[in-house]
Amino acid sequence: MFFEKAFRHGKKERKVIENIRSHLSLLRTACYTLETALEKRDRNLLGEVINLENEADVKRREILSNIYDGAFLPYLRPDLCKFVEIVDSIFDFLEETAYCYLEAEIPPEMGDECLRVAFFNRQMSEMLLITFQALVDGEDLREKTLAIRIYEKKIDDIKNYLTKDLRAVPVENFWNGLYLSNFLSSLTRISDVIEDASDHLQIISVSIR
Amino acid sequence: MNVHEFMTTRLEFVDGGASVYEAIEKMVDKRIRSLVVRFSGKDDGYGVITARDVVFRVLAKGINPQKMKVAEIASKPLITITQDADLTEASGLMQKSNVARLFVSDGQRLVGLVSLMDVMRAMLIMRARGKYVL
Repeated sequence: MFFEKAFRHGKKERKVIENIRSHLSLLRTACYTLETALEKRDRNLLGEVINLENEADVKRREILSNIYDGAFLPYLRPDLCKFVEIVDSIFDFLEETAYCYLEAEIPPEMGDECLRVAFFNRQMSEMLLITFQALVDGEDLREKTLAIRIYEKKIDDIKNYLTKDLRAVPVENFWNGLYLSNFLSSLTRISDVIEDASDHLQIISVSIR
Repeated sequence: MNVHEFMTTRLEFVDGGASVYEAIEKMVDKRIRSLVVRFSGKDDGYGVITARDVVFRVLAKGINPQKMKVAEIASKPLITITQDADLTEASGLMQKSNVARLFVSDGQRLVGLVSLMDVMRAMLIMRARGKYVL
């Protein structure tokens, strides 16, 4: 009952929830687009990732202004805003990954592992959307957040392999090396931030019980 | 969920003619529990050596691992599963064969390894997805 009152009660709340859902759907699309770009080695799709980041910025501003326009109980607002900001920072890493990919030469032997990271990133973004929906439905988030941690651990393992492989890659000049290193770093950072976002959903869930 | 989604793609190999000690060094350095054994000559093909084999068949019996060949304790043939197989199928095969890891094949080629922990993780993810279809 309290959950209903705190979280889904009014028109303003429903509008914010709908916008957060749409923000998370954009995230899933951006992760999927990046994965497809890596799979097909299609650099044109990277522009799409950058456009989605801009679209997400607009959505974030709208959500934040709606929240401070009086949606939700005041004690919930900072946590919801923080969640939206964390999700927005995932878009920043996606954008950075796209920019670095445009400049970097990815060694063929690392391509498959990078694609696996992008695949898991996309799965995690889907799971984040599911976790948010479960929060709105008033469900326990424990199993959803565990699934996100499992994906994150998987990416961490791949990151270790990639870091070792990276040491063996001959670097022709400083900038090539820097872009390759930044590409791997931002690609593998996405999952860390998705995990942070899911942890924050868990905090919100506990705070409204 | 298919096996290829959750398998480990890095496989480590050791020659059947190498000493068990060399296999132990590799497992310790790479922090892994099994190695694919490459046989040569008339024993052509692959096998597997696990930390369990090393402990139960060599160290616990007081045998010097430097004087024993990997081929003497490796299990053969490998128990494999295709990469498009379902994880439920993988868990069934593990249970039936009483093993904790399956090698993933694409035709004649070995492409990965799926462990009991991988199957558990994948099943937990499927549970978490539950009714939600995106």
